Amino acid sequence: MLQAKNLTKKYGNFTALDALNLSVNEGEIFCLLGANGAGKSTTINLFLNLIEPTNGLATINSLDVSQYSKETKQLLSYIPENLMLYSSLSGLENLDFFCGLGGKIYSKEELEELLKESGLQPDFIHKRVSSYSKGMRQKVGIALARARKASVLLLDEPTSGLDPKASNEFSELLLNMKEKGVATLMATHDLFRAKDTGTHIGIMREGVLIEHFATDDVSFRDLESLYLKHMHN
Amino acid sequence: MPPLIIVAKKEIKIALREKLAVALAVIIMLLLGVALYAGFLSYQQQHVVITQTQAEKRQEWLNQGDKHPHIAAHYGTFVFKPKTVLSLFDFGLDAYTGTSIYLEAHHQHEFMFRPAQDHSSMIRFGELSAALVIKILVPLLIIFLTFASYTKERESGTLSLLISQGISFRTLTWGKILAYSTLLLVILLPFLIGLLILSIFGSHQQTMPDVTTRIVLLALIYAVYLFLFIAFSVWVSLHSSTGRNALLILLSSWIFLTILMPKTVANLSENFYDLPSIREFKAAIEKDKAYGLDGKTPRSVRIENLEKELLSKYEVDSVQQLPFNFEGVMMQRGEEYSHKVYDHHFGKIKEIFFRQNRLSSLASLINPFLSVQNLSMAFSGTDTYTFLHFEETVETYRREMIRKMNNDMAENSKYGEFFEYAAGSELWHQLEDFSYQTPPIWKSLKYYYLEFVSLLLWMVLILFLINYSNRKTKPLYG
Repeated sequence: MLQAKNLTKKYGNFTALDALNLSVNEGEIFCLLGANGAGKSTTINLFLNLIEPTNGLATINSLDVSQYSKETKQLLSYIPENLMLYSSLSGLENLDFFCGLGGKIYSKEELEELLKESGLQPDFIHKRVSSYSKGMRQKVGIALARARKASVLLLDEPTSGLDPKASNEFSELLLNMKEKGVATLMATHDLFRAKDTGTHIGIMREGVLIEHFATDDVSFRDLESLYLKHMHN
Repeated sequence: MPPLIIVAKKEIKIALREKLAVALAVIIMLLLGVALYAGFLSYQQQHVVITQTQAEKRQEWLNQGDKHPHIAAHYGTFVFKPKTVLSLFDFGLDAYTGTSIYLEAHHQHEFMFRPAQDHSSMIRFGELSAALVIKILVPLLIIFLTFASYTKERESGTLSLLISQGISFRTLTWGKILAYSTLLLVILLPFLIGLLILSIFGSHQQTMPDVTTRIVLLALIYAVYLFLFIAFSVWVSLHSSTGRNALLILLSSWIFLTILMPKTVANLSENFYDLPSIREFKAAIEKDKAYGLDGKTPRSVRIENLEKELLSKYEVDSVQQLPFNFEGVMMQRGEEYSHKVYDHHFGKIKEIFFRQNRLSSLASLINPFLSVQNLSMAFSGTDTYTFLHFEETVETYRREMIRKMNNDMAENSKYGEFFEYAAGSELWHQLEDFSYQTPPIWKSLKYYYLEFVSLLLWMVLILFLINYSNRKTKPLYG
């Protein structure tokens, strides 16, 4: 579903991402762990075609995202660390707008239902986003992913800064989407969340994917030790 | 619904929720309303005053009593420059050119120069008119509406989300342009309707017969001009890293295009092509009338030559034997010579005007504001060429008036009986009342082809920038 083949991004002499190879299949959640500057967000941005790769390929459904930008974007949904919506529009208006851009038309009632299912309190649905917490905005992002019927979800540290309750709710929503066959690539610092929701984990450092494994193959303690070892090295 | 429309609807919704933008739009609407109403009042008042005064002067001419035609020619009359109905929109050069002129024998009284001596050149473009609001203040509103159209999206992070939905920059940019154009149309529509109503129902058709065509042309050029501003502002926002940078670039451009450059061009054209003062102009005419255009044939020689020519032609020995009053012919010949002198010197003045305007037209190739300024005055009938056309019409009328007086004197009076002969009401009625119509707009267009070329080139450039230069634009820098 989602593949990186020797994916490389350089800024002058600085290599932000070095020959990344990974694949995420349907119903998998691949969590990229790593310190700041490890290349996690660069990977997400390359899959989004927000930046051009220096070398290699990023494909979604076997389509090169650089060449088939429009087609691949129809398949994915993206939630950044801090999902910024239009603050003077309500959650419902934002959802309606972004769904419309993707060619998905819903009635007002359907949009309300999507937002409720994504965990947004009903009395906030028609309030302006300027009054939303970060968690609420992320829920609108999840509602958007569901509304767009995305088969690929790209998440860039989506639970960063969320309180535990909001993070748990978010994880539940991810697992729900996983059950529906959505392939998810998530960049995160949160080891617990990666272990709890991910099916696969990759550890990145200085633009290199130095290790990756199935989540079930490691305990949380082993994951923590492994991560710290690589960070200290 | 196409993404373009979805983007436009979203932009409109957000703009309508921005209190500052709404307040600015309301201020612009009020200013336009006030300017239009004030322009209409001024037009109506001046029209009433001019019509009444013209009628009074006509009655004075017709009822001046019996007198010698040459005395009547010096008694003269006044004619008034009628306000064109579209001067309620664009005052143009009206304040600069004055409204009345005194017509008498031998002298072409000044019309165009006096106000220029009373005012600085600032008055040309400084009065609050609806045209001024649209040319200068509406672009400012556009800047405040659009400067953050992309930078805010980039700074807040919504741009990445937008692009991740698969929408292209081209669609996004056109959606934004469509939104701001629609908003502007809504802001300007009441004004346009008001202008149409006032111009058509308040118009005195005899002065400007093609007023509807002119309004359509005005609407078209202003639509192009404002579209250029919108598209340029959105494009600057697209390529600016921060809103502050975009605002700085746009405000600098606005100051340069609407204030600095027009003033500079006006000053340069005055410096490059200097007009003589009214004193110099009159002195040159008087000198040539006295000594001849070649400087060798003074008035006395010209009269002597005329006398010889007529005596020889009619084979008589003295002017008293001529079958007409020699004095009448002499005065008409003198008048015709003074026409020649006047045309010679006024031709030079016109040439200077043309050169000054030519510089402004050339400068409009790099500044669409100048194109619109020149075309707006032309379509409103308040430009230099319409004024020169009026001046020529007045001079033709004056010459016809004097010709009728001199011919009557030649045909009906005798040589040396200046005080014995008196013409009456019948002669005064032979001179028709003065009336003026602006030339058809297509006749003026030939003077403004550079302005049209300028707008066309700017349109092509902006369309190119919008459609092609954002191909490699990314929502993230780096």
